Amino acid sequence: MKDIVRQKIGINVDIMDMLNEQIKKEAHSSAVYLAMASWCDQNGLDNSAEFFYKQSTEEREHMLRIFRFINENGGTAYSPEVSNVTHEFNSLQEIFESALDQEITVTKSIHNIVGKCRKVQDYGSEGFLQWFVLEQMEEENKIRKILEMFDLMGTDGMALKMIDERITHE
Amino acid sequence: MNLLYQSYYFSSYQCDRGRCFYIDFGHKEVKFSFCQLLSLRQKLQKIDLNSHFDKELNYNGIEILSLCNREHLFVLDTYQVIDLKQLLKATFGILELNSLVTPS
Ligand SMILES: [Fe+2]
Ligand SMILES: [Fe+2]
Repeated sequence: MKDIVRQKIGINVDIMDMLNEQIKKEAHSSAVYLAMASWCDQNGLDNSAEFFYKQSTEEREHMLRIFRFINENGGTAYSPEVSNVTHEFNSLQEIFESALDQEITVTKSIHNIVGKCRKVQDYGSEGFLQWFVLEQMEEENKIRKILEMFDLMGTDGMALKMIDERITHE
Repeated sequence: MNLLYQSYYFSSYQCDRGRCFYIDFGHKEVKFSFCQLLSLRQKLQKIDLNSHFDKELNYNGIEILSLCNREHLFVLDTYQVIDLKQLLKATFGILELNSLVTPS
């Protein structure tokens, strides 16, 4: 019997499922960051708002990167539905903390897929995911640095304004 | 045609010459490209069987499935959905095995 599946698709089918799940996570992150940008804007924290607008765009780009990878390799990528996005936050610090939590969740999820790639010897997908492994380290560190400012400067009105002024979004 | 898997109601085949797949639904045989087979698999994975046991969520316990860009329409009851889920799962399992044993 011919191996038609291999002729049609260059990645492992289970990995494809996991990548589709990852697409949902990136889309969700993008939506969550947008909600955070809105909160920051409403509270006059302009730089933080810009930071989250940019993060939101980046997450969408991550999503597209995976989306195209699946389709280019003969799989089928599914356009994600996004739900469960909160707009309620108590403070800027809380926002950055939950942003870090979210990034950590995404990092774990990427690592989980890489582990599975090795198990099923899908080295193409593993190579593709290496970019994400490094990107996640960068993103976590970026937010970690911002959270350190809260530790140093506190969270009262003046400190908040100063922290916001220091948040960059090159 | 190579038989891939036979469940209680359905069976799946691979056609080497046509580089495609067939599912025999009993009253009708449907041809699938690999992409279409993937899409059927996805649709079945998304079906929540629990809703079939909840009168509020799925009163009649049926599932309407459109296949191959709405070329085919199937109405399945709970037993058939369970059976078709099993068929697709096993079919992809067999295909994966086949990939492993195909000499490269
Ligand atoms: Fe991301
Ligand atoms: Fe991220």
